[in-house]
Amino acid sequence: MEKVYHKDAQFYAVLAALKAVTAGLQAVGRNATQYPGRQATRLCPDFLGKIDKPKRLIAVTGTNGKTTVSNLIADVLESLGLDLVSNRFGSNVDSGIASALIKASDLAGHMKTKYGVLEVDERMTTKIFPYVTPQILVVTNLFRDSYRRNAHTQFISSILNQNIPRSSRLVLNGEDLISGRLAPDNDRVYFGIECRDENETSPVSIIQDMRACPVCGSILEYDYIRYNHIGRAHCPKCGLSSPELDYAVEKIDYENRRVFIRTPKGRTDVRLLGDNITDVYNTITAIAALCEYGVGLKKITAAFENMQLPQTRFQEVMVGQKRIVNIMAKGQNPVGTSRVLDYIRHQPGRKAVIMMPDDYFDRQKSSENTAWFFDTDYELLNDPSIVSIVDGGPRFRDMHIRLLMAGIPEEKMRFCDSEEKIFPLIETDGVDTFFIVHDLVDAIDMQARDLMKKLEKKLQEGEGK
Amino acid sequence: MSLNIEILFPEVNYLFGDGSNVRYLKKCLPDADFIEDHFNEEPFFVRNSPSLIYCGGMTEQYQEQIISQLMPWRDLLKERIREGVPMLFTSNAIELLARFIQNEDGSRVPGLDLYPFGAKRDRMNRFNCLFKGKFQDMDIIGFKTQFTFAYGKTDYRPFMQVDRGTGMNPKAAGEGIHDHNLFATYLVGPFLIMNPHFTKYFLQDVMGLDDVSLPWEDALLDAYNERLAEFSDPETKY
Repeated sequence: MEKVYHKDAQFYAVLAALKAVTAGLQAVGRNATQYPGRQATRLCPDFLGKIDKPKRLIAVTGTNGKTTVSNLIADVLESLGLDLVSNRFGSNVDSGIASALIKASDLAGHMKTKYGVLEVDERMTTKIFPYVTPQILVVTNLFRDSYRRNAHTQFISSILNQNIPRSSRLVLNGEDLISGRLAPDNDRVYFGIECRDENETSPVSIIQDMRACPVCGSILEYDYIRYNHIGRAHCPKCGLSSPELDYAVEKIDYENRRVFIRTPKGRTDVRLLGDNITDVYNTITAIAALCEYGVGLKKITAAFENMQLPQTRFQEVMVGQKRIVNIMAKGQNPVGTSRVLDYIRHQPGRKAVIMMPDDYFDRQKSSENTAWFFDTDYELLNDPSIVSIVDGGPRFRDMHIRLLMAGIPEEKMRFCDSEEKIFPLIETDGVDTFFIVHDLVDAIDMQARDLMKKLEKKLQEGEGK
Repeated sequence: MSLNIEILFPEVNYLFGDGSNVRYLKKCLPDADFIEDHFNEEPFFVRNSPSLIYCGGMTEQYQEQIISQLMPWRDLLKERIREGVPMLFTSNAIELLARFIQNEDGSRVPGLDLYPFGAKRDRMNRFNCLFKGKFQDMDIIGFKTQFTFAYGKTDYRPFMQVDRGTGMNPKAAGEGIHDHNLFATYLVGPFLIMNPHFTKYFLQDVMGLDDVSLPWEDALLDAYNERLAEFSDPETKY
């Protein structure tokens, strides 16, 4: 039974004040995506319980892909003309969600729209799900993430199991035996990729957090592994096995950017917005969520034809025959970074990889725990098509060791102690594509964009000559 | 003489970058046999005297399963420690050796009870810190990321004296356990890679190997010296 929160005088006062603050912040060009919500939850701890939520709410959580999947879902719904509440321009913790709800409510705390898409940080569900019950809850996957914050997948699973509302219908990854086993009493559907991926991924990942059967402890037998623990497995002793897929990718056509899918509503093909296996997962995840939300398959596929990946995560420019790709890899997230490295490995031509992996905040007054370097599959860069690697940042000496352990020849590597010093170290001769791999933090993102511009200019000058 | 390196339950005991210690040992000792113990199997040390036993960090649930798995051979493990079998336990693997692990609700999971301390869990407050300590004349550096602190006779046989950062608990002067050739520490991640002086000592003096040269020793020393200077800087926040 879900607890009912009643609006009281304190709630109305806080809401009125923060709606005024929101309007003020917006008047001076600020997004007001964090501060009003932070104040709301500080002044009125059960504010999220008291404010109205959209009647038809999808929430998306998980380790990797939740931002992209949330955005895909929101883009499709907006393309259908629906007025949405979302936190796509704000944070995915309780304050970000409160800020989004404040903006979308009237002074009485009533929601102005009945539709909502919220990205929810998996670690912070303790502060969100006691108050917010999504009709559909998507869990993209669960992997090892920041050791400092998220510890390990069993910890995050236990948090989710304690907080997922009983009435939420779950959309789960059928190829992930960690997130796929969450909240076993909830209704659920499973998505996944059923076909072989022509861009063979790397089945030998350092991190494999589901080697032992979670029921009896025996070593699991995998029918296949796409990467890390993503794949299909069964236990030879107790019979535990991966579930059947309700939403399945049956064929991937990277060349024409199409995926062919099976759903409970029939088969169709849909535009693929990227050319990475994670793009395929994001697509089938969003489609499963939208179908479960009640959107028709034809409307979904039509909307995908006009959509694009967000530019903060992937940007590319061509200068003559040379390509520069700016790609985000979330720092301290070894699996997410490994997926990016695997994507780079599969790209055609001769490649240079420029890396900015070091944490921006830790360097200010402390020192980053670089253990995550050693859980990331930098072995993927040990490939003849990768002709040079430049790493810039205060932890470059640790990266040097890590790349040596990965078997990468010393002569391919260049290092410097700051992102700002990277540019002169980039050799442009004999390179077809330059990949700038950077953390999401604004300061590092700006460095990456700046580097992209400098490199573009240098290549243009070369073209001119 | 061939080397047998026993890895306890590598399917689960490799969290927080701890698996890199095994991967580095494989580079250091390319001719050694690395023997993996798995759940529901008898550990190698039961019928053999390994050249080294390594155990890395794990989830709390697996801690409890592993304690159950090892409990029948608890006395034998104690015997192997007394015999001087080299052992390295990192991260929360040290807690397998404790008297108990206490949950937030006060319930206790019995440990192997090889050393006089208990660990208390607080899973809503994860503890992270940098660490600098002294073992013999060596500076040891590393990172902690954990849900627990150890209490009881935590300074019974410390591995290191705390210089900066936190030891077995916020008030303890010592960190880890050093008994015969057992070394156990809460430090996580690439412990051997981050501490090349200790690694050399461990391979030479503890495991008794001759002519030890560390792979990429210069790169390891460069990183170590820079981090040591950083960790010694009074401005560095732990």
